Amino acid sequence: MAKIEVVNVTKRFGKFTALNNVNLEIKDNEFFVLFGPAGAGKTTLLNNVAGIQIPEEGLIRFNGEIMNKIDPAHRNVAMVFENYALYPNLTVYENIASPLRSPLYKKDNATVDREVHRVAELLRIDHLLERLPSQISNGQKQRVAIGRALVRDPNVFLMDEPLAHLDAKLRHYMRSELKEMQSSFNTTCIYVTHDFLEAVSLGDRIAIINEGSIVQVGTREEVYYTPCNEFVAALVGEPEINLVDGRLFAENGKYYVEVLEKGYLLPLPESSGIIRKLVDSGVNEYHIGFRPNNVRYTFEKKDGLLKGTVYSFESIGNKAVLIAKIGDKFVRMIAPNDLKVRLDQAVYVELPIHKAIFFDAQTTRFIGTSDEAAIYRLVQEQLSKGVQ
Amino acid sequence: MSKLIIKNLYKRYENKGKKKTQPNDFAVNDLSLECEDGEFIGILGPSGCGKTTTLRMIAGLEDITAGDIYIGDQRVNDLHPKNRNIGLAFEDYALYPPLTVYDNIAFNLKAKGVSKDEIKQRVMDIAPLLKVEDLLDKMPISLSGGQKQRVNIARAIVRRPGILLLDEPLSHLDGKMRQALRIEIKRLHNEIKCTTVYVTHDQLEAMSLADRIAIMNLGVLQQFGTPMEVYDDPANEFVAGFIGEPPMNILKTTIIKHENDYYFTFENSDLRIIAPRRYYDLLSDGMQVKMGVRPTDIYVGGPDSKGTPVRVAVYEDLCSERRIGVRVGDELVMMITEDDTRYRQGEMIKLEVNGEKTHLFDLNTGNRIRSKK
Repeated sequence: MAKIEVVNVTKRFGKFTALNNVNLEIKDNEFFVLFGPAGAGKTTLLNNVAGIQIPEEGLIRFNGEIMNKIDPAHRNVAMVFENYALYPNLTVYENIASPLRSPLYKKDNATVDREVHRVAELLRIDHLLERLPSQISNGQKQRVAIGRALVRDPNVFLMDEPLAHLDAKLRHYMRSELKEMQSSFNTTCIYVTHDFLEAVSLGDRIAIINEGSIVQVGTREEVYYTPCNEFVAALVGEPEINLVDGRLFAENGKYYVEVLEKGYLLPLPESSGIIRKLVDSGVNEYHIGFRPNNVRYTFEKKDGLLKGTVYSFESIGNKAVLIAKIGDKFVRMIAPNDLKVRLDQAVYVELPIHKAIFFDAQTTRFIGTSDEAAIYRLVQEQLSKGVQ
Repeated sequence: MSKLIIKNLYKRYENKGKKKTQPNDFAVNDLSLECEDGEFIGILGPSGCGKTTTLRMIAGLEDITAGDIYIGDQRVNDLHPKNRNIGLAFEDYALYPPLTVYDNIAFNLKAKGVSKDEIKQRVMDIAPLLKVEDLLDKMPISLSGGQKQRVNIARAIVRRPGILLLDEPLSHLDGKMRQALRIEIKRLHNEIKCTTVYVTHDQLEAMSLADRIAIMNLGVLQQFGTPMEVYDDPANEFVAGFIGEPPMNILKTTIIKHENDYYFTFENSDLRIIAPRRYYDLLSDGMQVKMGVRPTDIYVGGPDSKGTPVRVAVYEDLCSERRIGVRVGDELVMMITEDDTRYRQGEMIKLEVNGEKTHLFDLNTGNRIRSKK
């Protein structure tokens, strides 16, 4: 168990800067997710915490103690690898016990037995201790691998895309399993992923990385409802957020945004405080984000809605994604999976202006959101943290 | 454009050194399919299920052990691949590196001796459909993976094949590109209405593209139906578990008769679900079957609910939806909810199951047990 600090860390490989002045403070016992696209620097950061790589600049601290000069074996970090790497010839019991039998952590048999049983009960694999890895399910293998990492009370538990090699179905199942086990970890965890669902499901907080720099650090609500720029907005959410051009428009003391078509005005909700934010920002041109699950549509002609055609309709299991083409722009939305649609038929689309996220069209930075429910949720979250 | 008929098709690879013949030695085992003219057929299954072997037999790249394949009215078993009038695109793009995109697309037409003007006309007709019209002068090396696959598909359809065969064409592409090209393939088919057979292991691709899906496992056809048929009305446990994400929850259950009603009960669990009445004449006290229910057909009951109290084992907030997992015996049962209520791990909730939406499967064969009504 440890608080992990990454202070002004820069890591270069030749001319390539893999990490650029990264600062993070990971709390004791926190489940912290590093989330970003391939090549963002996630694994490099993890390796620097583990001590497999040493930063050119900056410090890694565990509980305030500088770790840069400590070799990986003595940092007491536990890593879980993609393929779990269980010893196929050892029983579940011996697999879990193996770290405690290593020269570095050598424990007497009674302690080993106690610790193995403690971890096995925690992870609900105590009935499997005599089995071989080949005799247990994938979910159980994951538990054994995690048990082996937890058995020696590591300072920090590092996981690098442990689910990435699995097929889609198993990956979802294993993510849920991991979520179930999470509360029993009782140690600080750093988890690397490029999968949005893993990031939001598992992370107490999520750091979004791109091109070696931290873009935003926050809870799932913060990165989903108040993404700091368009990059984060597009990365968090599936299907991807719709971003449409918009301009601020004032008439008779009322404020509107003009979107998609000339003269198509959406009145800004007055209670949300978004008008104030937009006016104060001094910015006039926006990219406005609408989450697909908030966009509404109808096939009946209706005034006041945007007219488009059905560009695509795809059933994705329990629901479907409908894409409307409006002029030369596309708008994604969620629809029921058994909807009867023909491609290119007319569709009328309503953009939910009361659940919109506004970005500066020039800088792509976040200006504000009109989603009062989201703001309320965020405030509640802050308050509940304050109470703790 | 042609109809495709597959009749009692078998394929066995000769196993060198292994003489034993077992039923499951067949890579494709008694497959019969009829695809309508202009239809989009998905062949879906896990690796090793025989889907690619089937496609290769249609193409003529693989000998047929037994059975017949008809394209249009013609039996093609003995036809050379080039005479079957098919267009083929694989996972690998295999473009000719020294040729431009235009020449790659035109290659087969040139080989056939089609006139220059006609080739130009045809390439120009096809290019916008696959959004490669601005790439025609480029060399393959300068294209992205998605662009290469577009060119590859353009090359397959420019010859106006009777049947277009696509083998995992999106597998090499990353998430966004895959999504974009999937949409374009669907639109392309809508435009040219060419009979298409599309092989994939990804149920989402099959569900979103195909008019009908043939689901295979271990060489055997499991079900052939529209996406909603295989989703709502699976033929067996394999199909039920393969289609849908998260998959259907499938649990072993013992039927208990109490007073005049039948209930599903589960080992090491207090959960009891009343069985739908339509099953009553099939059920008996103590009978063991498997019960399947989709995550969207399980609910958290309100305060007055008569549902079984269970402990929340997993609560996942995925932003636009939430998933709740509970343990029924050893099994993790997942449900999906879009309501905003938050739950904590360990919290007690009342579990309600829409009994009408449950499916029953034979404990041994996995076959669906259907009510007579």
